Amino acid sequence: MKFFRSKIYHLLLGAIIAVSVFVCFITPIGGSFNDVVTLKMNNVSNVTPVKATITATGYDSISKKFYNAKDLYGTERRILVDASLGLKIGDVIVAECNYLPSENYFDVIRIERINPAMTFPLIQGLGELGRNMLFHVPMSFVATIAFLLGTIYSILFLRKKKMEYDFRARASSAIGLLFTILATVTGSIWARFSWGTFWNWDPRETSIFILLLIYVAYFLLRSLLEEDEEKKARIAAVYNIIAFVTVPFLMFVLPRITQSLHPGSSGTEAPVINLSGKTHTDPILSYILWTNVLLFTLLFLWMKDLYTIVLRKEYSIND
Amino acid sequence: MLSPVLRKDLRIELRSRFGVSAVVMFLLVTVTTILFSAPGEQMSSSIMSALFWISLFFGALTGLARSFISEEERGTSFLLRLYAEPEDVFWGKYLFNLLLVFSLAFCAVIFFAFFFRDFVVRDLGMFTLQLVLGALGTSSIVTILSALVARASQKGALLPVLALPVMIPLVIAATDATRITMEVADSWNGIRGDILILFSFDVAVTLVSYVLFHLIWQE
Repeated sequence: MKFFRSKIYHLLLGAIIAVSVFVCFITPIGGSFNDVVTLKMNNVSNVTPVKATITATGYDSISKKFYNAKDLYGTERRILVDASLGLKIGDVIVAECNYLPSENYFDVIRIERINPAMTFPLIQGLGELGRNMLFHVPMSFVATIAFLLGTIYSILFLRKKKMEYDFRARASSAIGLLFTILATVTGSIWARFSWGTFWNWDPRETSIFILLLIYVAYFLLRSLLEEDEEKKARIAAVYNIIAFVTVPFLMFVLPRITQSLHPGSSGTEAPVINLSGKTHTDPILSYILWTNVLLFTLLFLWMKDLYTIVLRKEYSIND
Repeated sequence: MLSPVLRKDLRIELRSRFGVSAVVMFLLVTVTTILFSAPGEQMSSSIMSALFWISLFFGALTGLARSFISEEERGTSFLLRLYAEPEDVFWGKYLFNLLLVFSLAFCAVIFFAFFFRDFVVRDLGMFTLQLVLGALGTSSIVTILSALVARASQKGALLPVLALPVMIPLVIAATDATRITMEVADSWNGIRGDILILFSFDVAVTLVSYVLFHLIWQE
């Protein structure tokens, strides 16, 4: 489509990429006072970054000063900060806090940012690793969307018998394969730092691996067929549709009924896509997440369009 | 009453006995290899069910692949196209493959029960249900895919590459269900999810194969 090559589309894509890079890499991570207490009780970490707004000043100790601060869930607690910073009422701080249960106040070890434009919500037990969620999750969404679109184009090709739909089906599946590989790689890196190994044949890892095999087989089949282009396209379209029958089983059913470390396995509810239709993620996080899903979808449509042009040109040269 | 294509295939099979003997030999070789490579080993139910279904699926791929490839090799596919409707060809081949998978499964159960001490099925009814559902899914996938690769080069290598990833949901669900039927006598509660997956997968795959078959079959 012409639209994907228009200036407006490129500007839109650039703007969303800028926002996404800013949110994903530059914003500091800030949790709540509750996170500090929970993580300390569970012996995960002593200090946790907190985002809080100063609501009242208290008395001074020797070189430090007490403040009252309210976190993003509205819990108001006492914090102890270096007096030289001169914080005012209404300032938003992102600070590493340590909880002292006997004194019932939070000791600020280090202030990371004062009045940040935006913060990234803390995911308990993940910390900085949580940022990967904004790449890994949207990439797997877009891979599914791409395979679905590829199948729809394959069905359209079989009905209308126009080569144009075959180019689109091939382009969608190819870019879908690329996004599946990216989701696998980001997931594998994530697994290395939170589960310990790059790959341990977790049910989710197995199912995405099989998905890769299926679409590699699709392109292999195409290259091994000894037919004219039209018949080749027809046979490949049929395989694409049969292959897509297994995608829901691999992406949604099997990983949800087996024991796994991945969120959304048997006995737990998936954080984003689940049967009850609720999102079990922080509201800010899910807002950023869906922005990134939109971003990767737009990127996918753009890449798919470019690859379709390549395939169309290739066909007209060979013809 | 029987489909003419099925009758033809059955007659050829009775004459040559190629399909059944190939499948039985394949199973025997597989079982012997397992016995030689792990002699006297105590095998858990999960390993036993995995070995059982792996030999079944690979046996099906070796035996069933012939259905369309042999037509292509003998040069009879043109005649079949002329004389029979695509639907009749699909159902004939499907039923023939189904019979072949059933005989394969029957032999596999006998061999495994005879050779492996640890192959003990506690819930025979549910086990039979899994075998039937597994056979239905396998034969419809292999029927459509062998029609698909019949015209490609490297057919022998291509069919497993295409079929196995597509059959994986079937393999995983069937293996899990068989493991449970080998462990508990009243297994319905444990395997309900797996049976549901097997059933929905069979229905989806068979419908899609039936609807799409004439597109591959026509010239």
